[in-house]
Amino acid sequence: MKELNEVLQDWEAVIGLEIHTELTALDTKMFCNCKLTHDDEPNTHVCPVCLGLPGALPVPNKRAIESIVKAGLATNCEIQKHSMFYRKHYFYPDMAKNFQTTQGPVAFCMHGHLDLEVTGRGAEERPACAFGEAEAASLASASAGAVGLSADLSRMAGEKAEGASDEGALAGLSSYDTAALATAKRHEDGSYTVPIRILRIHMEEDAAKMVHVGGEEGRIGGAAESLIDYNRCGTPLIELVTEPDLRTPEEARLFMEKLRRIFVTLGISDCSMEKGSMRCDGNVSLRRRGDTTLGTKTELKNLNSFKALHDGLAYEICRQAEVLEEGGEIYQETRHWEPSRKRTVVMRTKETADDYRFFPDPDLAPFDLTDEFIAHCAAEIPELPDAKRDRYQLDFGIKRADAEQIAGDPAGADFFEEAAAGLTGKAAQTVANLIVNELTGYVNAAGADVTLVTCGITPAQVASLARLLAEDAISSNQGHEVFTLMAKTGDDPAKIVDERGMRQVSDTGALQEIVDAVLARCEDQAQQYRDGNQKVLGFLVGQCMKESRGKGNPKLFNELLRASLS
Amino acid sequence: MMARSFDTLTAAEIAAGIAAGDFSAAEVCVAALDAIAAREPEVQAFLQVTPELAQDVAARIDAARAAGEALPPLAGVPVAIKDNMNLTGTRTTCASRMLETYESPYTATCVARMLAAGCIPVGKANMDEFAFGSSTDSSAYHPTNNPWDTARVPGGSSGGSAAAVAAGMVPLSLGSDTGGSIRQPAALCGIVGMKPTYGAVSRYGVVAFGSSLDQVGPFGRTVEDVALAMDALVAGGRDAYDSTSQEVAPAFAVAVAAAGEGLAGVRIGMVPAFMEAEGLTPEVRRGVERAAQTLADAGATIVEVDLPHVDAAIAAYYVIGPAEAFSNLARFDGIRYGYQEPGCTNLATQSALSRAHGFGDEAKRRQMLGAYLLSSGVYDTYYYAAQKARTLITADYNAAFAQVDAILMPATPHAAFRHGEISDPTQMYLSDMYTISLNIAGNGGIVVPVGLGEDTGLPMAAQLVAPAFADERLVTYAAAIERGLANGSNSASVLGVAPAFAGKGGELR
Amino acid sequence: MALTQEDVRGIADYARIALEGEELAQMTAYMNDAVAMLEPVLAYNLPDVEPTFHPIGDLSNVMRNDAVAPVRDLSRDAALGNARSTRGDSFRVPSILGEGEA
Repeated sequence: MKELNEVLQDWEAVIGLEIHTELTALDTKMFCNCKLTHDDEPNTHVCPVCLGLPGALPVPNKRAIESIVKAGLATNCEIQKHSMFYRKHYFYPDMAKNFQTTQGPVAFCMHGHLDLEVTGRGAEERPACAFGEAEAASLASASAGAVGLSADLSRMAGEKAEGASDEGALAGLSSYDTAALATAKRHEDGSYTVPIRILRIHMEEDAAKMVHVGGEEGRIGGAAESLIDYNRCGTPLIELVTEPDLRTPEEARLFMEKLRRIFVTLGISDCSMEKGSMRCDGNVSLRRRGDTTLGTKTELKNLNSFKALHDGLAYEICRQAEVLEEGGEIYQETRHWEPSRKRTVVMRTKETADDYRFFPDPDLAPFDLTDEFIAHCAAEIPELPDAKRDRYQLDFGIKRADAEQIAGDPAGADFFEEAAAGLTGKAAQTVANLIVNELTGYVNAAGADVTLVTCGITPAQVASLARLLAEDAISSNQGHEVFTLMAKTGDDPAKIVDERGMRQVSDTGALQEIVDAVLARCEDQAQQYRDGNQKVLGFLVGQCMKESRGKGNPKLFNELLRASLS
Repeated sequence: MMARSFDTLTAAEIAAGIAAGDFSAAEVCVAALDAIAAREPEVQAFLQVTPELAQDVAARIDAARAAGEALPPLAGVPVAIKDNMNLTGTRTTCASRMLETYESPYTATCVARMLAAGCIPVGKANMDEFAFGSSTDSSAYHPTNNPWDTARVPGGSSGGSAAAVAAGMVPLSLGSDTGGSIRQPAALCGIVGMKPTYGAVSRYGVVAFGSSLDQVGPFGRTVEDVALAMDALVAGGRDAYDSTSQEVAPAFAVAVAAAGEGLAGVRIGMVPAFMEAEGLTPEVRRGVERAAQTLADAGATIVEVDLPHVDAAIAAYYVIGPAEAFSNLARFDGIRYGYQEPGCTNLATQSALSRAHGFGDEAKRRQMLGAYLLSSGVYDTYYYAAQKARTLITADYNAAFAQVDAILMPATPHAAFRHGEISDPTQMYLSDMYTISLNIAGNGGIVVPVGLGEDTGLPMAAQLVAPAFADERLVTYAAAIERGLANGSNSASVLGVAPAFAGKGGELR
Repeated sequence: MALTQEDVRGIADYARIALEGEELAQMTAYMNDAVAMLEPVLAYNLPDVEPTFHPIGDLSNVMRNDAVAPVRDLSRDAALGNARSTRGDSFRVPSILGEGEA
């Protein structure tokens, strides 16, 4: 198979994502008062409602509705005041009622977008030919084909809008379509920005967990029986569906990361792909560059990490290219990404569209969200990652990449703001460096249940350490050593440095004496330097550091040596 | 005091007698169980009699009285519960093989409220399987016989609940009404039955048939008893477990008393097309005219109103009902509960055979029809048309209620029919022609007996219909009919316990 | 257009209702009778009438607070008590894909 970069020279990959996020921050399920849990004993958090017992009725969780409205506002969606819950029928034991309660043609959130900044090596996945006017044409045509994106939605596309008040959806279409024409622009450094449209975010309920027994690797195929645990059944779930605006696996990965940062900042979910509280399916099709008709798409499942999302899509793009280049045909089917074997395999083929027999759930009253309700949700939205990143860059003067990373994690952002309070320039950047390079690694290594808040290191300690580094009181090597000691003892870095006599000597008079002594002892090397061997300077700095027992400021030694030898 | 059967007492009299110490709840309970034992072999109104549960509740009421506690309003009144209502300690079978061994893990709100009002649950009443029917003949276990003529059906689907009251086995029972399932059996059994406005009584814990159509309501032999049961059902306020339930004031008993003041200024509508409809028997028409005359005698003005779109109700109902029924009954797959076909080695076969052998014919027919009506392409044509017809029928009622306070109409086109007399399912559907439009529009109706038919000698009834959430008017006007007929020249118009069963067992000391 | 036995078989497969022997023919006859009875409703598919999906239409925005209320929680024994097949703490179903398929 060809490499991805080579494939994408000739083929345009058209990618859309369907992203399910469990609202894990809530206390109870979507339609009943059962506690939300992740790893309790099977079937211990069930009631007549989530077990689908005869006679049980659903009542929606207000905070779930608030959460999805916040998610919509944070992703530039139009909030639909009038919408209804629908029943989506399919016989499968993970859904206790044999229908899922979900939304119909009108979701709470419609027609949003997120702008992606694609930088560094990831930006290279999109070839130069995929910018400009061709891109605009391509997006417009993909948009027209977006109706077929999801089997659920295609059924509803022909259905009338719910109720009378669908002006919101119609009025929004124009600006939404304009977004499609806002094409990717490549900057001088190779990075680019591209808007990715969001078709909708709707509210639904999660299914039960099933364990397949007796088959290979717990898969359904060959299993003799399956066991069902309904604890998860009825967990509030929001499903976001993008337009097919993504063109590279890297863009898909970045979209997912960006969405995760937003949802985590909103405080609506822990967004753990590992635990399955955030899950992603990818739809991908290929077409020759310049073509305006869409190819047949496949749907990818089991993309349960950012790496899996990228690698699964990359594999599938290359696989489809190989099939097409050999004159083969792509079948509309669902494929499973196997990370261990680095391949996708067919799960099931879709010869005919599923008929889910959607209809408005008569047990649930319709929604007519008020302006007050929406304003109340908006007021609860904290500063979002992009705004925070820009502010950190502007107010603290730290690097954009660091600002982006720190701003994406609410705990890290709070930590940074406390540690960097009153600092700018080098000191603030040093705080950022410590968080990105030292602290994150430390917390990750400390175990799954340790967080930034519980790890024992305080913002004041990091600020103190940053000051020592920024003032050149200690070297960056010493910085790492002090961090480790600080984490171990809980002491203030200044105390550690003083007690261990680690403070750098930056008194030029004292340092000049050492330089003079070293040059007197190492005449040969001094001469080599004067003869043009620059490399020998490192040896001489090392000698000076040794003479100062590690306390001299290496930068100053460097300067003083050069001056003395010139 | 002379020995007499407890069936001569109304619910109001039983509660008052217990409160006054004339007899104990335990004695009433024994009398009810005794009456059931004596009458049930011929009526077969129950699927399960619950003596232990009943005696426990009765003992608690007597203990509460002995301790000087204030008794709830219906303390010690025996009640029968339709078998689609959950009550812990009982099976809830919906008269289906599917749920033959299903033990209720929780209690329906409507049942809990009757218990909170002090009612003694004596058993679970027979019904058409999953409430699909108008005869109770589709029960998977046995038919129920009409106490007025045991060769005839009690109506349905709440036939067991109606027959138990008409045979004097209980003074009160609960039924559910999706297309007439309270009102039609009340009419056929000569008792009072009420379908309140959709949302007035919680549906939580009542096995769903048509979620936008189902409504729970009481049966009794007097309007006052039905009003007392209504007060008990709504006194707890809106049910937080039912998104569609709404707050209703417990002012029904008070509204019954208001009938004593006469109906001056009240306007009652009648729909000429209903009185001239094909299939309406002359004796039923005369019964309804008798009711109209009684209302007029009480001071009401009778005016003609029109419901031009009501003809669409049956077709709309048989789109919406089966669609919702298919959806609601999809959960019966034999996995979490219910009949499971033994020996299946794959899930699809297990599900298909469990449903094929667990459900009876009508349950399968309705689900098949619903699955078809909801399918791609068909849904857009039929379901939307039905819901638009619903809009028009509701608008018809609103327009009529701009002119009148209530509408008087027949409840059924004819008296009770014989078992097996109507075998064609689509013909059976037409016996709901006068009741269905209320389930479509959502507003409430009450059926009140108007004497025996001249031709058949069977109970005749009239139906009163009020605007949404004006259900208290129903009991006022129904009480006016009840009083007017009792005071009239033909006092036989007032029906009590069916004569063949009156006084049979159930002696109260 | 009348429903054929094939149509009805397809619906039965979807609805997970096995039709055995004469049942397919009987069900097909019933379905066609019932659909014919529904014909009058088609006259109401009027463009200027809004459908009523929920009776008593002014009810909206019914929600509950996000508060755990264990009063309705079922014990595991109660949850599993009505199931015919269980394994340990879980409900059990036979092979989903069936024998011979993998």
